[in-house]
Amino acid sequence: MFDSAETGAKLALDGVSSGYGTIAIIRDLSLSIRKGEIFALMGKNGMGKTTLLKTILGLVSARAGHILLDGRSIVSASPKDLIKSGMGYAPQEQPLFTDLSIRDNLRLAVPSDRTLEAALEHVFGHFPFLRDRLGQKAGTLSGGEQKMLILSRALMLKPDLILIDEISEGLQPTVIAQIAKALKAEQSERGTTILLVEQNLNFALEVADRWAVLKLGEIDDRGVTDASSRERILEHLKI
Amino acid sequence: MLIPANSAPSSELKARPGPFVPAVISIRNREPTAMTLLLDIVTTAAILFIVSAGLLAIFGVLEIVNFAHGAWLTVGAYCAVVTGGLGLNPWLALPLAFVTGAVLGGVTERLIVRPLYARPLDAILATWGLGIVIGQLITLWFGRDVQFTENLLSGTIHVFGANYSLYRIFALAAAAVIGLGFAFLMEGTRLGLSARAIIMNEPLARALGLDTSKIRLVTFMIGTGLTALAGVLLTPLTSVDPTMGVAWLIGSFMLVMVAGSSFGALAIACLVFGGAQVLVSTFISPILGGITVAVLSALVLRISSKGFARV
Amino acid sequence: MLGILALCALALVIVGPMFLDRFSMNVLTRSMIYAILAITVDLLWGYAGVLTFGQAAFFGVGAYATAMLFTQVGSSPTLIGLALVLAIIVPVVLGLIVGWLSFYYGSTPIYATVISLVFPIVVTQLIYSGGTLTGSSSGLVGYTGLPFGLEGFFRLSGICLVIIAVGALIFVRSDGGRILTAIRDNETRCAYLGLNTQRIKIVLMAVLAGVAGLAGFLFANASGVVAPENTGFIFGTELVVWTALGGRGTILGPVLGAIGIDYLSANLSGELPFLWQLIIGSLFIVMIIFLPNGLAALVLRFTRRGRSELPIESSPELVMKTSLHHKNSIDGPLLRIDKLEKSYGSQKVLQDITLDVSPGELVSLVGPNGAGKTTMMRCLTDGNESSRGVVRVAGKDIAGMIPNQIVALGVGRKFQVASVFESLTVAECLRMARAALETPSFVSDSDVLGLPSAAIEILQLTGLDQRLSTQVSLLSHGQKQSLELAMVVALEPRMILLDEPTAGLTKAERTTIGAILKKLTSELGLAAILVEHDLDFVRDISSRIVVLHQGRLVLDGSVEEVVNSEIVKTIYSGGDHV
Repeated sequence: MFDSAETGAKLALDGVSSGYGTIAIIRDLSLSIRKGEIFALMGKNGMGKTTLLKTILGLVSARAGHILLDGRSIVSASPKDLIKSGMGYAPQEQPLFTDLSIRDNLRLAVPSDRTLEAALEHVFGHFPFLRDRLGQKAGTLSGGEQKMLILSRALMLKPDLILIDEISEGLQPTVIAQIAKALKAEQSERGTTILLVEQNLNFALEVADRWAVLKLGEIDDRGVTDASSRERILEHLKI
Repeated sequence: MLIPANSAPSSELKARPGPFVPAVISIRNREPTAMTLLLDIVTTAAILFIVSAGLLAIFGVLEIVNFAHGAWLTVGAYCAVVTGGLGLNPWLALPLAFVTGAVLGGVTERLIVRPLYARPLDAILATWGLGIVIGQLITLWFGRDVQFTENLLSGTIHVFGANYSLYRIFALAAAAVIGLGFAFLMEGTRLGLSARAIIMNEPLARALGLDTSKIRLVTFMIGTGLTALAGVLLTPLTSVDPTMGVAWLIGSFMLVMVAGSSFGALAIACLVFGGAQVLVSTFISPILGGITVAVLSALVLRISSKGFARV
Repeated sequence: MLGILALCALALVIVGPMFLDRFSMNVLTRSMIYAILAITVDLLWGYAGVLTFGQAAFFGVGAYATAMLFTQVGSSPTLIGLALVLAIIVPVVLGLIVGWLSFYYGSTPIYATVISLVFPIVVTQLIYSGGTLTGSSSGLVGYTGLPFGLEGFFRLSGICLVIIAVGALIFVRSDGGRILTAIRDNETRCAYLGLNTQRIKIVLMAVLAGVAGLAGFLFANASGVVAPENTGFIFGTELVVWTALGGRGTILGPVLGAIGIDYLSANLSGELPFLWQLIIGSLFIVMIIFLPNGLAALVLRFTRRGRSELPIESSPELVMKTSLHHKNSIDGPLLRIDKLEKSYGSQKVLQDITLDVSPGELVSLVGPNGAGKTTMMRCLTDGNESSRGVVRVAGKDIAGMIPNQIVALGVGRKFQVASVFESLTVAECLRMARAALETPSFVSDSDVLGLPSAAIEILQLTGLDQRLSTQVSLLSHGQKQSLELAMVVALEPRMILLDEPTAGLTKAERTTIGAILKKLTSELGLAAILVEHDLDFVRDISSRIVVLHQGRLVLDGSVEEVVNSEIVKTIYSGGDHV
């Protein structure tokens, strides 16, 4: 079921290892994300979730293994190429240019100003509050609004695969609900595939079709979201 | 007796107050009036700004100190020599210098600077080496003698009750054009937005798919093009020889260190330190005036490592 | 080996004049004096990592002090002696001033380089404005100095060069000399081993200024002329070019580089004046980009395959040391934090943290990302970090203290990413950890390594005791983490702070580190504060857990209390606000 050669996989990782310098963070990891599904990768801090996303995006180079996007290897692709070929990324650490306006933050996500207006209309559909506040500096937004901006930026080019790093961190339930709604809409309206890295169990189980738990750079457990998922995942996440 | 050290090819420079003192200030015999002093201060600041702008553009975005900066000023000045030699309108030297400087800059970024982004101190050394090479190539081509260029503008102009060099007033305007042009480039264009994004948060810029290596290349080319342009603008103020640029290097370097990545801060630094230089040169000694910028910049950096960058 | 080399070199400079023509002797005398300067540049740049263009200025000051004394006062044996003293003392004093300007807590490497550019310019300008006193732009000429002939100066310069080169080689190979490499590799770690790196660099700069001044004295006597170019930063850059081409960090490389290039320059620049500079410039660029360690590195690569293959016999013997440090017990808690606060502008990342830690406790600091854990660690090891509140270590308020002063109070810090010295061996790293307690020798390398028993035990548990002569860059990540812990323990701290010591380690390595920490605290009575994400690990080893959330201390209790707390469950599973 999780064979990396699975047909119809949007993104497949096979035996991937990566890290920084002599430090191995991801160890021999295999994972397959199907076209059109929302997949939640759970795990506590320091378990390699962010590094995994960076490895997929080419920001950290994989030392071993294969990464396939639509069946083609992307191990040596640059972030620029991947974004051009339809990948979106919502990072967690220092994710915004806080001194730039909302408009400029969004503008940096499109390759040319010609396509800017159409892309803006697309994200206004999910988060209408952005429309009236384009001139405001990103750093002056509230925490929840910043997260919505980060997600909006990842959606600008209407990607067909989005990598999202802990978008729910530190947010109120009402904001989380808005984000969940946007993700589900992307999935149902455009068939977008979404890989979520999460610590928030409630949010992850609400949106994800399938999940996996990452521990010390390896997949510890995985399954389809169902009634027993909560207990199983909590077993891995609890103190 | 030993052969004296052949260390510095600076014998030509001795006509100046010292090898590291750009001859910015016209040394007058008569007492300066308040108005000429004020004009000296603002026009000196303008010249310093013109000369440092290219270095700042590169340092601000790339965090690399281009120690071949002086060589690019020299290249620009020799563009004026070539233009004169071909009998062309002297103003044509400006676009010629910009293009020459930018093209050479592009080659330099690719071959020399790019491998050294992770080693900024080595980048200083490699670009210094490049400065030596360019200086020697110019010497081989043009000889080491002082060259003469046609004046871009000559004569004086009557400003606020004082007769003052027309060219220095023009330099003020040129500095304003360069400053505003850069402000527009940074604030009003996509390239500027990308460059600012890299300054603020390079990892994020890369994660968003910005082509950081192309932006670095273009920034370097603009910086060196601008520097060569500044070289042309210097020709009416200083003699042209293969080592002329070195005299300006340290001053610009110090001003850029103080200004960080901000053109506004550079303008302020030029005004404050350039002003101090004029005052020291006028009232104490032009020789000491020549080190005012460097010494004051070093002290400002000692007190606050961010210099004027927070202004 | 070194002795034979030195004797050969001495013989060469003594018999040299018999075979050399006047021109070569002339040039080589100058080249050898420049080689002395190259050694000083190499010690500063190649070893300590301080890129400097300023050595030319110290040289010039020494030369000018000599020439000015001879010109203005005259020359007699006494005056020559006085000139020698002045030529050394004046640069030393200037070196102290320049060093003080360049090196302060928080100064950047580029700032030191900036100062090293400004200084020669200032000196040169002062000479230009000195009128007849300094000879202004034409320099000083026509004075009488040491009554030696051409051959005499050749031999004198050669002997001085050999002595200084041998001295430098002995120094850099000594235990004390390794400190320079350690500073270049990782200055932060040096500070957290209790070394005052600023002071070390200032002293180094002053001493080397004196050596450059001595070279200036020789030059002024031998050449009979001093000129402003001798002090300028262009000459300073040439010294760096020679050092780079010869091979930084090798002493002999820069010596040969200086002599070779200066000699060739003198011979070739007559025929190919500009081409020669062009070749040197191009070679320099290529070298900096592709072979940053110069020609010497190329030679070394062929002769021996790096220091990694040192025979095992060259490992020092491990010796147990009885404790030197912190014997007196203290009243009250070891660490007392009272209302600690840290804010960036209006954003408070830590607030109202009050906490006591006693000897023997192993306190784990947990909380989600951004809770302020690492910030809190920083506030405990740098007295300038906190915005408000008081932190006392062993009863002393640490406000305003810099890391090495806090280390002296008995605090050891282990960083998240193993902070060790990549180009030293395991034994040298450990010796560095003892340098603040026992001043190492500056002339020899000891064949015993004295460490406290706890540090030796860590080495034995992790197998590092068998790899004492291995270069650190060849160790695995886990071994580096263990080495850093051993270094911190070798400091004989009262309290150790550890930032995610298990990040990136295998399960077996985690178990070992956990066992070591438990032993250090429960048996040896150290206090430990641990920032950790791996909650299983925390649960296994802690005596107490402190939970931070959004900059506040939300819970402080035993493992049992914290694990069963509802608050913690909410924080970790829901992300809801507390």
